[in-house]
Amino acid sequence: MFGRTYVRESQTAAFARFAAKRCALAVPVLIGVATVVFATVALIPGDPVTSMLGPGATPEAVAELTGRLGLDRPLPLRWWEWLSATAQGDLGSSIAQRRPVGEIVMTAFGNTLVLAAAAGLLVLAGGVALGTLTAVGRGRASGRLSSALSIVAISAPQYSVALLLVVLLGVQAGLFPTGGMYDAIGGGGLGDRIHHLALPALAAALVPMGVTARVYAAALTDVLNADFVESMRARGLSEAAVIRHAVRNALPSLLTIGGLQIAYLLEGVVFVETIFAWPGIGQTLFQAIQARDLPVIEAGVLVTAVAFVGLTIAVDALHWLLDPRTRR
Amino acid sequence: MSVRLKLLLALTAALLLAALLAPLLAPHAPDAGATAQRLLPPGSAGHPLGTDGQGRDLLSRLLWGARPSLLAGIVPVAAAALLGTAIGLLAPLSRRWVETAALRSVDVLYAFPGVLLAIAIAAALGAGLWTTVVALSIALTPPVVRVVQTEVLRFRDADFLAVARASGASWWAVALRQALPLVLPALVVYCTTLVGIAIVYAAGLSFLGLGVSPPTAEWGSMLDELRGNAYTDPVLALLPATTILLVSILFNALGDALRDQLDVKERSVR
Repeated sequence: MFGRTYVRESQTAAFARFAAKRCALAVPVLIGVATVVFATVALIPGDPVTSMLGPGATPEAVAELTGRLGLDRPLPLRWWEWLSATAQGDLGSSIAQRRPVGEIVMTAFGNTLVLAAAAGLLVLAGGVALGTLTAVGRGRASGRLSSALSIVAISAPQYSVALLLVVLLGVQAGLFPTGGMYDAIGGGGLGDRIHHLALPALAAALVPMGVTARVYAAALTDVLNADFVESMRARGLSEAAVIRHAVRNALPSLLTIGGLQIAYLLEGVVFVETIFAWPGIGQTLFQAIQARDLPVIEAGVLVTAVAFVGLTIAVDALHWLLDPRTRR
Repeated sequence: MSVRLKLLLALTAALLLAALLAPLLAPHAPDAGATAQRLLPPGSAGHPLGTDGQGRDLLSRLLWGARPSLLAGIVPVAAAALLGTAIGLLAPLSRRWVETAALRSVDVLYAFPGVLLAIAIAAALGAGLWTTVVALSIALTPPVVRVVQTEVLRFRDADFLAVARASGASWWAVALRQALPLVLPALVVYCTTLVGIAIVYAAGLSFLGLGVSPPTAEWGSMLDELRGNAYTDPVLALLPATTILLVSILFNALGDALRDQLDVKERSVR
């Protein structure tokens, strides 16, 4: 009994040590990420102020914006001030909307997370299903078909798929709404939300679903060729039971790849949100690009990259907890 | 060589040829529009694929559009392949601190989802075809480094490299004559798939208004222009979307066929 308590405590301590180390490793990466974003703004060739205000700007407006953006001060100083302001959550203010950027970006990011979570479920479910079909049907028509389907899924540009879904299932068949998060009138319930989520989530999920399916199929094929599967067959287990065991055995491979693929969902949502008018970070980025609202563009990219780093840490942590072989 | 690989190579050659010969193949000038002939459906006389909202022939625009779209897909991959191979090959064979410095900087770029890094760079540089090429070259380099580095790490401590060094081969000779040929198959397979991804990214940047800008024919900006007609003329709106989809499938399938041909193990880096 004491031994067990001892083991559990030391495991918690070991996990805390691992988590602390992993987070510490992320700090230089995050500083690097922020520096790259800063550099893209700071190193713009030409005069960013004129390009933001347009050629017809008055000298007073140019001087005012130059002062407000701090462009008249030395570069290292601006870098340091930007970094410390960003670390404190101050992302500046939007040029087009005259609101704090942090406020705009955070609201949008919450909506994106809803979409990404729904798409993530589709990625895992669809990826495992398609991957299992590919591995089990290897050498037969069913396996070739599902393998071809995963290639199509990997290749499918999110905007093409989004537009196809809008036209076929939204406009032509009228089965799904073609934009927004909920109906303007009487909307907002759970059913209404899911109804609005279905198409954008599918469009965002397709590429990572295809990648997940291929990697899972490769892992499952390895398992199906393993000795223990042969011995299960020899002991007279039904084929369905053998596959059930094998599928479970290959699941840990999903962690590394599936976890990363869910992080990559954040990439596709830029296009999906734009086409489905989903008020998330992607649509915010699109509108900011149209308005040449640089502070919002940079903050949107920064927040997404930080979330991306956070997700990879979460995946590593989950891996540590579920697979003892990684604890070295 | 498998039949599948031959077929895919022939299709790719045909696609590149069509883009190259666009001035000869296109029935109309890509930006000559006639308001009387707006939004004609596919199959109309003189306009086999119909016309867009400004009466411009869609077949001609798709053919001409293949040029910037394929260019923005292929050139950045070539640049990323060169740069990524240089870093991924030379860093593990160099001194410890060079390796650490190079790989840490790549880690930082790797922390950005690819398309977002490209968006940040393109937004800063301003819209245009060469902006897209530069932005994608930078965004695609980190994954190439990863592919090359993974390959190099598998044989970095192998005897044949030690033998080559001991027999007096220069550091460059070891890298280029011994290491590079071993990395090449995985690199070729990965870069073929990467062309598909780059074409999708490049069209995506134009779609967002960061790439080639109208009236130049380009698949991504055509998609954006025709998107507004999705409700009234869905078939026309889907033309550029389907073209990008098919070309992307072509390069991914080609990469897959090459993987089988060159016997490269499946590893996901993307």
